[in-house]
Order: sequence, then structure tokens, then C-alpha cells
Amino acid sequence: MSPAPLPDEFPSAGWLEGLASHAAEAPEVYQALGFANFRLAIEVVDPSGMPRRFGLVLDGYDVVSAGEIQDLSAFAPEALVTGALDAWREMLDNIAENGGADRAHTLNALTLADVPLRVTSDDPMGRDKFFRYAETLQTLFDATGRRQNVAA
Amino acid sequence: MGAATVDLEYFERAKRGQFDLGWLRDTRSEWGVRAKPSKVGLTLRDIAVGSYGEVPDHPDRRTMAPRGSDVDPDVPDMGYSINDKAEVWSDNVMELYEEAVSRQWSATRDIPWSDLPELDPDLEHAMCQFATFLSEVEMIASDFPAKWLWRINHDFVEAKMFLCTQVMDEARHTEVFRKRALAGGGGLGKAKAVVENFLKLVLDAQSYDEGSALMHLLGEGLVLSVFRAGELLAPSPVEKKIFRLCMQDEARHVAYGTMHLRYRLERDPSLAEDFHSYLDKGEDIISVLFTTPEVVEPTAILAAGSVKGAEELGLAASDVLRTRVIEEYLTRCDRAGLPRRGRMRLPGAVLSGTTGGQGPVAVAS
Repeated sequence: MSPAPLPDEFPSAGWLEGLASHAAEAPEVYQALGFANFRLAIEVVDPSGMPRRFGLVLDGYDVVSAGEIQDLSAFAPEALVTGALDAWREMLDNIAENGGADRAHTLNALTLADVPLRVTSDDPMGRDKFFRYAETLQTLFDATGRRQNVAA
Repeated sequence: MGAATVDLEYFERAKRGQFDLGWLRDTRSEWGVRAKPSKVGLTLRDIAVGSYGEVPDHPDRRTMAPRGSDVDPDVPDMGYSINDKAEVWSDNVMELYEEAVSRQWSATRDIPWSDLPELDPDLEHAMCQFATFLSEVEMIASDFPAKWLWRINHDFVEAKMFLCTQVMDEARHTEVFRKRALAGGGGLGKAKAVVENFLKLVLDAQSYDEGSALMHLLGEGLVLSVFRAGELLAPSPVEKKIFRLCMQDEARHVAYGTMHLRYRLERDPSLAEDFHSYLDKGEDIISVLFTTPEVVEPTAILAAGSVKGAEELGLAASDVLRTRVIEEYLTRCDRAGLPRRGRMRLPGAVLSGTTGGQGPVAVAS
């Protein structure tokens, strides 16, 4: 059975909550990947240069949406992945088209050269967590990408 | 060591129900500790409570007795040579052990081998050479901790347990790349002396300090960046999955190595120059890898999709990898409290495009 589409458009707090709720609906998938502890901020920069930030927390086997973040320091992310709306949109479209990211559109592939997405952190240990949990993050985005709505 | 004797009188008394029960009444260990499980289960951090959570900086004994137990006075000395906590400890070691156990995977079961596509021969050769290199280098990260494990005081058992997970992780990496080389028809490629020279440097390290700096920080940091590049360059989803799963394991080992070095230097800053000299030696060898065709060219071919494409692309792809390896390594050195910018002795061509030849800069990534 195909999963239902996410209820809200990307980027939005509702979209992120849909992302998290997918993990709750498939606990066996995330338990098999192992637990994780990570506070990740997702930054989407619109064409005018205005950033919107969202918080995602991997807490044990749970994936929790922290919603849209106004105060980044209060959320205290261990890493932030940032990029233009077009880059995020292309990634999500690719996931939707292929049922998962293709060779050039995984989170790691898109961030390796710092373009079109970039992972930053004040602490390299926080940045390295983006790779320590690479399979969990990719599984999360791949699965929910099949049910996304992306703003046109 | 005194020979154990059989107490036949005790045997007769016990048969009559006259038990000793000294262990029940007179044990000098902490009673009443009730460790509470956290949301993922009962972790090492959860049981680090009361006296059981106190890891001595310099243990009195050198036994395998569980830390916190009531130890017989005549236990044998196990001959441990690493008896200072700072030699092996890191503040994240308990969490890393738990994470390692939770995130184990199988190179047999979890890789979709039956989906491996038939590749163009150039790509298959490149992938097999890449896999040969990785299968070769990964086992050192099993051999090195295994060589030192028995020398580490058992009071640092959490650190020993973490190193055991690393031994298993790296065995699996050796396995998965060997399997990849043999699964697609290409087989194993060339094994180079320069690679073996670095592995020997780690294996022959005169101290855990030296070997850990070379392996956890330099070697595994490099391999983590290589796994990241491998995930990008992977010719099929099969290799993508291999590299992502390996990347996760490697990042744990690097997290231990970085924070271990930090812990070590915070307690004895005078060791900094020793660590610099270890890394000087390691970097001298590692830099040769950047001009070793068997290492550089497979990534160029995988990036370009063919030998001809790679010739047109030149070193553009491997330059991304080279600068990434060096910058990520330098940033981890900063975090460990051992800034290497300005200290690196690599040739200018190898350092070009990086901050390795510059003086210390603010930590940022």
C-alpha cells in the first residue's frame, strides 16, 4: 500500500511533522537501523535570500519534529544543513521520481562539495554526526519523499 | 601465581548444608544500586551510578575483576601496561559503544547484492581497485586495537568494549569490500607498498598514543572522507548502501579518536609535541597516496563514468576529495586541541586549495 501524501507543502512545519510521523508509522525500519541522538537544523533559503529553518531531532529510535525555528541558538542544533529552495526541491523531486534518491541526489552527495547543500557546525563532532547517522537520515528522506508535496 | 587447591573439607561441609556464605554477608561492594533504563534500554551510562560509575584515573590493581567488585587480595597481576585512564578514555566512549552495538549491520544480509548491475568494464575495474584499497586498509583498524586491548587495564572496560566494536566494524568493512570486488566479475586489483607502509606505521606504533593518533584521527579521518566520496561516486545503489553504512561506523571511530586525543591533551598538554611528531610521520606517508595512481585514478574514473571521461576531467574529482580530506582532518585536529594548520609538511601541490599551509584559524566547518 502506498503511503498517503504528506499533508503540507515543503518547506513547512507540517511537512516536517509528516516526515517524523512516517518514522513513527514504521518503527521496525528505524529500530533495525539502530538508535541515534542528533539535533539537526534544516535551512531552506528562498530566492530572495530569506532563510527558513526547521528542527529535526533523532532521539533514540524516535524522529521528532521541532517545527519551524525562530531562534537557532535556542534549538541548539549539532549541525545545520543549508541550501537554496531550488536545491531542496530538486532533491525531493528526484526522490519522488525514483522512489528514493538517485546517485547524485543523496544527502551525502549533495553536501560533499558544500554545493548545492552544505553541512555546517561549530563543532566538527556535530558535523560528523550527519555521517554517523547517514543511513537513518537517507531512509527518512527517501521514504517520505514518496509521499511529499513540494511547493511549486 | 599460587596453585589453586581443592578444599575437600569445605566440600564435605557443604554436602551437609553447612555453607560458608561469606560472599553473602561480608562483600565490600555497593549494595542498593538500582540502575534505571533509559528510553532505548539499560545503557552503560545508565549503570554508571554510585561507586560503579567511578572510573579511577590510576587503578590500584591490574586484574580482570569487574570494577566495583570486592576483589581477593591475592589476585594475579595481568600485566597491563596501560594503567592511566587518560591513555584510552574519551568522554563519549560509553555512548559510542552503545551506538555501535545498536547500529551493527551485516555485509551478507543488508547489502542488496542481487541488485548489483553489470558495469562497463572500465567502471568495474575502477570499483574493484577502489574496493581492493579499502579492503586492504580497513583491517588495520581491527588489528591495532586488538594488539593493544589485552594491555589495557580492565577498570577502563568501557573503552575496551568500544574498541571491540571497532574490531568487528572493521572486519565487516574488510569483508564488504572484498565481497564487492568479487561480486561483479572484476576481482581484486593492485595492493601498493605505500599503503602497506602506512599500515605498518600504525601496527608498529610504540605506544597506544602514537597508534591511536595515526589510526583514529589521521587514517580513519581520511577513510571517512573517502567513504563520503565513495557514496557520491558509487556506480549503483548497491555501492551507495555499502559506503553509507561504512561511513556511519567510521564516523564513530573518528569521534572516539578525536575526543580521546582531546581528553589526553587536556590532562597532559606537554604531550602535544609528541602527538605532532606522530602525525608528521603519518602525513608524510599519507600525502604519497594523493599521487598514487591506484588510489587517485579509480575515483577519477568513477566520477567521470569512463577512462576517456576521466582523462578529460583530469584531477577535478580527486581534488574535491583531497581538499575535503585535508580540511576535515584539520578541523578535527583543532577540536582535539592539536591545531595542525601551519604545521603540516605536505608539498604545496598537495596542500593547494586547503588551509593546511596557513596558521591556526577559528574552528569552523
